[in-house]
Order: sequence, then C-alpha cells, then structure tokens
Amino acid sequence: MDEFQEILQDFLVESFELIEQLDQDLVELESRPDDLELLNGIFRVAHTIKGASSFLNFDVLTHLTHHMEDVLNKARHGDLAITAEVMDVVLESIDLMKSLLSIIRDTSSDAGIEVGDCVVRLDIISGGKGDVQTPVAVAPAAKVVEEVVEEEVYSSDEPDYDNMDADEVEAEIERLLQERQNQDKAKRAAKIAAGESVPEAPPEPMDEAEAKPAPKATPAPAPVPVAPRATPSRATESDDAKAAAPATRAPAVVEQTIRVDVKRLDHLMNLIGELVLAKNRLMKINVDVEERYEGEAFLEELNQVVSIVSLVTTDLQIAVMKTRMLPIGKVFNKFPRMIRDLSRELNKKIELEISGEETELDKSIVEEIGDPLVHIIRNSCDHGVEIPSIRVAAGKTESGTITLKAYNEGNAIVIQIDDDGKGLDPEMLKNKSVEKGIITDAEADLMSSKEAFALIFKPGFSTAAAVTSVSGRGVGMDVVKTNIEKLNGIIDIESELGVGTSMKLKIPLTLAIIQALLVGVQEEHYAIPLASVLETVRISKDEIYTVENRSVMRLRDDVLSLVHIGDIFEVERILDSSEHAYVVVLGLGSSKLGLIVDTLVGQEEIVIKSMGDYLKGIEGIAGATIRGDGGVTLIVDVAALMQMARGVKAKAMVEESSSSSKKEKTRASDYKVMIVDDSKTDRMIMRKALEPLGVTIVEAGDGQEALNTLKQGDHNFDAMLIDIEMPRMDGYTLAGEIKKYNKYKNLPLIAVTSRTGKSDRMRGVESGMIEYITKPYSADYLASVVQRNVNFKSEFL
Amino acid sequence: MSDKLKQIINKQGEQQISPIDHADDIIQLVGFIIGEEEYAVPILTIQEIIKPIRWTRVPQTPAYVLGVFNLRGSVIPLLDLRTKFGLRPLKHSDETRFFVLKQGDEVAGFVIDRLTMAIRIKKTDIGAAPDTIAADDSMIAGVGKQAGRILTILKVDKLLARDF
Repeated sequence: MDEFQEILQDFLVESFELIEQLDQDLVELESRPDDLELLNGIFRVAHTIKGASSFLNFDVLTHLTHHMEDVLNKARHGDLAITAEVMDVVLESIDLMKSLLSIIRDTSSDAGIEVGDCVVRLDIISGGKGDVQTPVAVAPAAKVVEEVVEEEVYSSDEPDYDNMDADEVEAEIERLLQERQNQDKAKRAAKIAAGESVPEAPPEPMDEAEAKPAPKATPAPAPVPVAPRATPSRATESDDAKAAAPATRAPAVVEQTIRVDVKRLDHLMNLIGELVLAKNRLMKINVDVEERYEGEAFLEELNQVVSIVSLVTTDLQIAVMKTRMLPIGKVFNKFPRMIRDLSRELNKKIELEISGEETELDKSIVEEIGDPLVHIIRNSCDHGVEIPSIRVAAGKTESGTITLKAYNEGNAIVIQIDDDGKGLDPEMLKNKSVEKGIITDAEADLMSSKEAFALIFKPGFSTAAAVTSVSGRGVGMDVVKTNIEKLNGIIDIESELGVGTSMKLKIPLTLAIIQALLVGVQEEHYAIPLASVLETVRISKDEIYTVENRSVMRLRDDVLSLVHIGDIFEVERILDSSEHAYVVVLGLGSSKLGLIVDTLVGQEEIVIKSMGDYLKGIEGIAGATIRGDGGVTLIVDVAALMQMARGVKAKAMVEESSSSSKKEKTRASDYKVMIVDDSKTDRMIMRKALEPLGVTIVEAGDGQEALNTLKQGDHNFDAMLIDIEMPRMDGYTLAGEIKKYNKYKNLPLIAVTSRTGKSDRMRGVESGMIEYITKPYSADYLASVVQRNVNFKSEFL
Repeated sequence: MSDKLKQIINKQGEQQISPIDHADDIIQLVGFIIGEEEYAVPILTIQEIIKPIRWTRVPQTPAYVLGVFNLRGSVIPLLDLRTKFGLRPLKHSDETRFFVLKQGDEVAGFVIDRLTMAIRIKKTDIGAAPDTIAADDSMIAGVGKQAGRILTILKVDKLLARDF
C-alpha cells in the first residue's frame, strides 16, 4: 500500500505540473494552430496522464484522456483543424481532468464527476459516432485509511506544497505575499512615524526572465520525461514567477485617490441640481400624460423610463454628494489640544472622549461646523464642568468628562456634546433673562424647562457671573445658534441640574438639496424645509383665539401661537378665504410656531438656488427653487420667520376688501358691463339691447377669456352677463371662480341662457348668479335687469 | 463686370476697415424706451433680451423689484424700470421685453417698454450728464446725441447695484 501511495503522490505532482503547462500551451495553440511542436507537446501530456492513470486504475480519467489523445493525435497528423469549437471542447476536457485529479488527491478515487458528455463531444470531433460507454468508478473502501494519512500531512505546520493543486499553491503564495507586504507596510509606517521621508511604495522591479514562466517559452522537443524536475525547485520557481505579478499590482491598490479642485465638484453638484429639477419636471409631465392617455400601452414604457431616470438621478446625486464628504474627525482633531489648554487655564480636570470621528459630512458643512463646536465646548468647560473640589463635594469624580460624538440619523448627522457638569438651572436662566430684559415675567411663567434652556442662545445672555477670557461675554452661544440655523440645522438641549448637559446638533448631510413642504397662500407658493415641519393640522376659523393681540390655537394640550404666512410676506388678499385653513407647525429647537396657510401642495425634493447678490438676505427668505413647471418658488427661512412672527400683530382673519373707493358715476358710460357668450350673434343681440343705456360694454368669447380680463383689472365692472354653455370654461365655473375673489364678491352676475330647467336655475344660484334670464328675451327686459343691478342712475336715461 | 465687382469688394473692404480704425471712438449701444424717453446701455453688458415670462413676487422688497424669474435654471431678479424711474406701472404689452444685463457676477432682468435698435455712436457725440444730475450716485453715464435724437446712456453697474 505504501508503495501505491508513493506512486500516487508522484503521479499527482507530475500531472498538476503538466496540466498547468498544458493550459498555457493550448491557449498559444489557438493563435498558432499550425505549430506542430506545440501540438506534439500537448499530445504527449495527454498521453502521459492517460498512461499513468490506466496503470493506477483510474478508469474515468483514463477514459477521458484517451479521447483527448485521439483528438489531439488527429490534429497532430493534420487530419483535424484546430478551430475555436474544437478548442472549447479540449479546454473543457482539461478542466474536467483537473477536477478529476483534485478528487483523486482528496479521495484517492476518481468517482463523482460526470465526464460522459465531454467524451461524447471529443469522440464526435475525432470522427466517432459519439456512442461511447463511460466506465463508472467505484471508490474502493480500503483507501479510506490512506486518506487519514494524507490529512495528517496537510495539517502539519509547514504547508505541503507538493500536495497542492495549482489554485491552492496560488492562494498560498498570495497569503505569503500579503504577509510580506504587511510587514513592509508596518516598517514604512514606523519609519514615517520616526520622521524619515519614505518614497511611496515603489512597484517592485520585475525580472523579465522570471515573469515569464520558463517552461512555456521552451516547448520540449523531446518527449517530456516522467519526472521532469525535482518538485521543490519547481515550486520555488513558480513562486518567483507569480510573486512578480501580484507585487506590481499591489501598490496600485493602496489608496487610489486623485485630487480634484472643489470648484469642479461644486459645478458637478450644480449640474446634478439641474438634473433633479428636470427629473421633477419629467415626473410631473408623466402624471399629466397618464391622466390624459389612461390605459394606453406606451404608458408603461414611459413609466419605466421615468422611474429609471428618477432612480439613477437619485443615485447620482448621492454619489456626487459622497465625493464631497469629509470625515468630521478633521474638525474633532483640534479639540483634545483645546481641552488640555482650557483645563489648565481654568484649573479644572477635564477629559475629552471622542467617538464617531469617521462620520462624513459635506465639505461646506465641515468648514462651517468648527466655530460653533468650539463655542459649545468652551462653554461646557467653563460653565458646565465644575472645579475639582466642588465635584468631589458633590460626590462626583475629580475630573469631568466631555463626550463628543457624531453619528448618522436618517438624512441628517447628529453631533452630540455631553458633559457631566452642574447642568442648567431653568429657574436661574429665567431670572437672569428677566433681569436683562430679554423676556418678560409673564413669558417666564409660561416657559417650559426646555424653552428656558434655549434662553442661553439669546443675544446678550450670559450666565457666567464673571467674564473670563474663555467665555461669558454673551456672544458665543448666540453665534452658535445662527451658524447652525444657517446650515438648516437644529439644536436640542437636555440638562439635569447637577448631573450634566447634553447638546445635540442635528445637521442635514448636504446643503444643496432638501426635502420641502410646499404650501399655498392666495395665488402664491412657498417651500418650507421639511426638517423644520413638525406636523400639519387642518382647522376651522373658529378654532383660532386671540390672546394679547396674538392668534393662538389649542394643539392637544399646548397653546400654539399662530401667524398667517400672508401677513409675514405681505400677500395681497385677493381670494376669499375659505372656512378652513391649514396650520403648519414649525419647530426649531424648542420653539414652536403655527403658520397658517391656505393650502398644502405637497412634499417635494427641491434644489436650493441663490437669488444672487441683488436679493441676498431678504428677511424670511432662504433662497429660491425652480419647480417642475419651470416657475420659481421661494424657500422660507424658518428661523427668520419665527423672529418676524413676533412683530406681526394678529389681524382679523377675514379682511374686508378696501376696494370700496369706487368712483362716483358721472356719466352713463362710467358703467361697465361685460358680456360673456361664445356666440357672436348673441353678444351682438345683448350689445344692441344695452346700447340705448349708453353703458360701456366689454365682450369675452368664453369663461377663461372673461376671467383673464377680470384678473388684469383694467376695468371695474358693474355687472356681467354670462352665458352658461361655453367652450373652455362654462358659466357656472366662471361664476364660481369670480366669487373666490374678495373684490368681486358683490359683482352682480346675470345668467343669460336658453337652459330653462329648474335644476339649471338652482345651479346658477349656487354658483353665485343673482339673476337668471332665459333666451329669448326682449331687449327692454334685459336692459331693465341690468339697470336694476348696477343701480343705474335715472338721470342718465 | 469684374471691374464693377472689384469696386464693390474694395468698397466693402474699406467700410469694414474704417470702423476698426476708429474702434476706440465708437460705442455700440442698444436703445430702448421707457415712458417717453429713449435710454441705452452698452451692447456688451446685455446678456440677452427675452419676451416677458412668468415671475415670482419676492416679499420685503421695494415696489420696483417685481420678483425673480427662471432663466434656464438660474434664478434672476426682475426689476421694473418704469417704477424705478418714478413712472406709473404699465401692463405688459406685446412690445415689452426683459433686458438681462450682466456685469461680473451680477445679473438682473429689467422690464422695458419697447426696444428701439442697436446704435453705433461716436464717443465725441456723447456729452456728460446735465450738471444737476451728474452726481456720483446718478444712474446716468452720459447723454448721446445722434441724428436729432437724444439718448440717455445708463450706468449698468448702478442699475445692478442693490439700493435698498
């Protein structure tokens, strides 16, 4: 048995070697099919393996190699051209051969792999009919013992190269190489740390001769000897040859970066912004098209394209955003030193713990976040952490700890600064604020603890009894708030007296693209950053109360102060306000405000655009965005809006339109009547009927035209004669639209129609018509109805 | 025939050369009407002239700031020169145009009543603004006289400067 085992080992080593060479030779053969030398070499390999395997009773392997040999023999004698197809089958058979050899190595038997298919194809190529019998190998039970022996060899510390197949050898080489590289790297790092300048890892010089596997270059002219070379030497050689290749690749993998001008990234970001706008527009159009061509087959295709575009745009946006990301550690790095200096200066013992420094943020935000953090940490050191003696007296450890951590939360990043100091005292904060005139006594009474904590951000506020060089001038925290709000971020403070303070800064990942809630007021739209929207509520007018000249409403258990967006942005009330309104509850830190709007349009992803230097810094406006329809919508600056809301006095919700400054009519032609009818004849008939009165007549061909004329406001109409059935916009709709405007609430609308049904009359009344004239009518009747409704002065007759 | 052609070509050549000789002395302007008067701005400060499009009102601004509009993806302020010049606002007509002026990074659109024409004017034909309004903060760069008409040439940097 030992003898058999020895022979088997020799056979395997030799075979794997041969096959490795075979692979290379065969590929070469394909490009040089006429190279007889090559063919001879390959044939001999197949022949050798076949001979040995038949001697060792590996029937399946013998069967396979036999047919390979046939094919190659034919090719050698020029009876068969080596085509790509033939080559495919030959290569496949070699792969099978490899698998078989691996199995033999592992189990000492060649069972378990189906070679019949391949053999049939080989047979067909060599001119046979393909009906060959594949012998079935039976794994001899006796060989199990040897397996154990083999495994023992494997488990020894020194890897047994002899027993490895090509892949394993490669893996082993790779592993050793990796080990070597890591050692080198560590050495380099150590050198760098020691201050030596070390050139970037140079690509290891590649030895030409070694790079090319020697056996391949020299096709053996004589039959390959059964044991061509001593195995160990072969192993080292292949080791060298392979080592050269990965070594050249390895340095390139180490940190592949290029420096890019930030301007280019900004430009890229702008372009993505444009793309997002175009995508929004495309989606809007898609919805329109869907409505118009419901059920058409092409819609599905369109839908697919739109969703792909939308998906890719989003991915692209994220990808570009990522290129601009920097780890926040860049900012955090300067704090340990700062804390050290501060603790010496203040005679305190403070430790800083930093975590999450690898969290990434947009470059522009990383640049902006530094100053606020410096202020907050200085504040914690100065006002938060107590001096050691007090700490010990309070039962705390002598040294205070400030924890600085950053982490992602949804679409935002949170930077949290905790200290285990004395905490904030809401009562003290309130008293101080009242003292300094920042808030009134009444306000102080109503304040929750959270609102009291927020007082530290008020300009002019400082809790420090004495101004130190570190803080206490009452400027810092105010600046923190402004800076954070500039980044669309929010600050949240939690504090427990005697235990510590925790400050959370929540900052969006990027500044360029935000989620916004679009609201409507009258005919205008505004975008509110969704990050500041807590909720939206629909209310009716009688839920609004007035307290101390301010509108308020009850929201669950709280009282929410309200302000109408129209009052802040000076929106002209041209439309009649309906019975219901929507309240957008805005939250910024601990302060809340209810913003009354007329309509909620929806949520949209918007790209913030600057309005240029000319309109920079308009109070309450953070910027503008371009909507899907190409129009511009302004973005609300929530922080500024809350500030402005304080100055706005509550106005009566329903304002009477002050357009009562109607001029005294001095002539008959001062009266203006609009005739709306799609039939020219009808318009003529009406005109003829009214002409005797001497009033001014304006005509419109349909409802839309009439509405446009009215909106332009060139004329002050005293009455309108409206036909019901008209294209584009019918009379009922027109009347409804007109009645939406405060200004035209009292404008007499007179229906002139041939519809005589009772339901028609009812609809007319519902839509706001005050008179209903049925065609045909007499000229006098029409004139008298008009006279009556415009309060026509009799002296003009 | 060929002689004649030569003559014409020569003549054209002369014409082409002559302005270059005096390029320094000639200013190209674009004239427009606001109210009753004709104004002009240097042609190179005009980014483009477009027909009126939809704009969005911006609150907290003077009356002559109509708002902002979308010019191929850029948000640009729109100013009404009539109101700015103290005239009654007029409804936009078919002849109304938006003048998009650009100087450096500053871009703004201006509503004008009517476009007249591109004008080439000699520098020597441009007089200083009348003394009464020739202060530094005046918007008038000079007054051009040509073929019996008077052009008020405006300072584009003053037009584009925010004054509220």
